[in-house]
Amino acid sequence: MSARIVAVLNQKGGVGKTTTSVNLTHALAKLGKKITVIDFDPQSHLAVSLGSVDPQKSGIDKVLLEGVSLAEQSIPVRKNLNLVVAGPRLQEIEQLTDGGARRGDLLRRALLDGNRDEDFIFIDCPPSSGVLVANALFAADEILVPMTSDYLALQGLSHLVGTIKKFESALKRPYKFSLVMSRYIPTRRISKEVLSVIQKYFPGQILATAIRETALLAECPSFGKTIFEYRPGCRSARDFMALAEDFLQGRMM
Amino acid sequence: MAEQDEDSLIGYDPLAWMHRSDFNQDSRKAEVGESEVDSSTELASSTETASNLEIDLDQAPADASEPYASQGERAVLVLEPVLNIQNVSVLHQHLMQMLSNFEAIDIDASGVTMIDTANLQLLLILKQTAIGLQKSISIDFPSDKFIEASELLGIAEMLEVDQAASGFF
Repeated sequence: MSARIVAVLNQKGGVGKTTTSVNLTHALAKLGKKITVIDFDPQSHLAVSLGSVDPQKSGIDKVLLEGVSLAEQSIPVRKNLNLVVAGPRLQEIEQLTDGGARRGDLLRRALLDGNRDEDFIFIDCPPSSGVLVANALFAADEILVPMTSDYLALQGLSHLVGTIKKFESALKRPYKFSLVMSRYIPTRRISKEVLSVIQKYFPGQILATAIRETALLAECPSFGKTIFEYRPGCRSARDFMALAEDFLQGRMM
Repeated sequence: MAEQDEDSLIGYDPLAWMHRSDFNQDSRKAEVGESEVDSSTELASSTETASNLEIDLDQAPADASEPYASQGERAVLVLEPVLNIQNVSVLHQHLMQMLSNFEAIDIDASGVTMIDTANLQLLLILKQTAIGLQKSISIDFPSDKFIEASELLGIAEMLEVDQAASGFF
C-alpha cells in the first residue's frame, strides 16, 4: 500500500502549521487511520507538542544525511500515530549547496522505501522556502496550506502559490492542493473578507471546517498534549475532529 | 492592481494575478507531457540575442513581426551562461520590450556561469520598474554563480534570489 504524502506547508510563520499537523494527525489516528508525521522544522515544535522533548534525539536528519531508514527513526507516540523527530542536524540540510537537484530529492527517495503500512505521511514544514521545503515539495503528493485570516497571510499565499506552480511545472505533475482556515476569528470582519477572497481564488479547495482561534490550542503544546488529550470535547477538539472528517471525505467550503 | 469595494477592508488584492489567463494555462501546463513542453516557441535567435526567449504555444503570436503576445500574458526568459557588458544592451532591449507587453516575467537564471555588474544592475532596475508598474519579475532557480555575484554586489535580497528554489531543476 502506498501512503498519501501530505506536506503541511506555508512559508509564513504563525499560521498554524504545527497546530494543524499535531491535532489533525491525532484526529485521523483516532479515526483509525495509520499516520506517520515528520517534524521537518529544525525548531522541533511538532515533536515538543507531541511530548518528545529530547533535543539530541536523531530523526529525519539521520534519514537524510546518513541514509538510515525512516522506519528505524519512527517513534510510536499515540495509537496509530508515529512521529519522526527533526533531529539536531536537520538544519544542515538547509545549508546544503552542493548536489544540484539531488539535495532537493533526499526526502522523496527516503520515502520510496516500501514495507510500511501508513495511510498517510504528514510533513510539518518549516516557515521558510529553502532546501527543506524543496524536499517536501519533491516528496509530496498533496499540499495542505494552513491560512490565517489576516491580510499579510493573503500576501504570503500569493508567493506560496507562485512557488508551487513552479514546482508543478518543473516536476510535470499537479499537486492535490487544499487550504485549511486556522486561527479563525469569526467575529472579525477582516477574517470574513479574507476568507471571501480565498474562496474566490480557491473554490472547492478550502476544507469545510475553519479552526477557530482559542486559548486552549495555544496552551496544550507546553504539556506535550494534543487538544484531544488536553481538553477532550472542547470546541477546538470538535473543530479538529470535523476537519479530519472533511479531509478524509473531501468536504470543502 | 485589483480594485475592491470602497468599504472593503482589503485594498490591494495580492492574488489577483491568479485570475489572469496565464494562471490557468500554467496549471494546465503542469499536466502535459515533456514533448509538449519542449515544443515551446523560441522567438529570439541565440545568434542575435544575449538570451533565449521562450513563449508558450498558447501565447505565441500569429504574426512573427509582432514578437510578443498581447498584454496580460506571462513570459519566460532563459538567461545565457555568460552575461557581460558586450551583450547587456541587447538584454536591456528585450527586457524593456517584454516589460511593456507582459504582466509577469519569469527569468530563469539556472544556467548563468558569469554575470557582471552591468547585467545585475539591469535586472535590479527591471525589478524596481516592474514594482512601479504593478508587474511581477521573478528570478527562478539562480545558479550558484548568480547568487554569489548578486550577494557580492549586495542586491541578492532586492532581487529576491535568496527566496527562490535555486538549482533544483
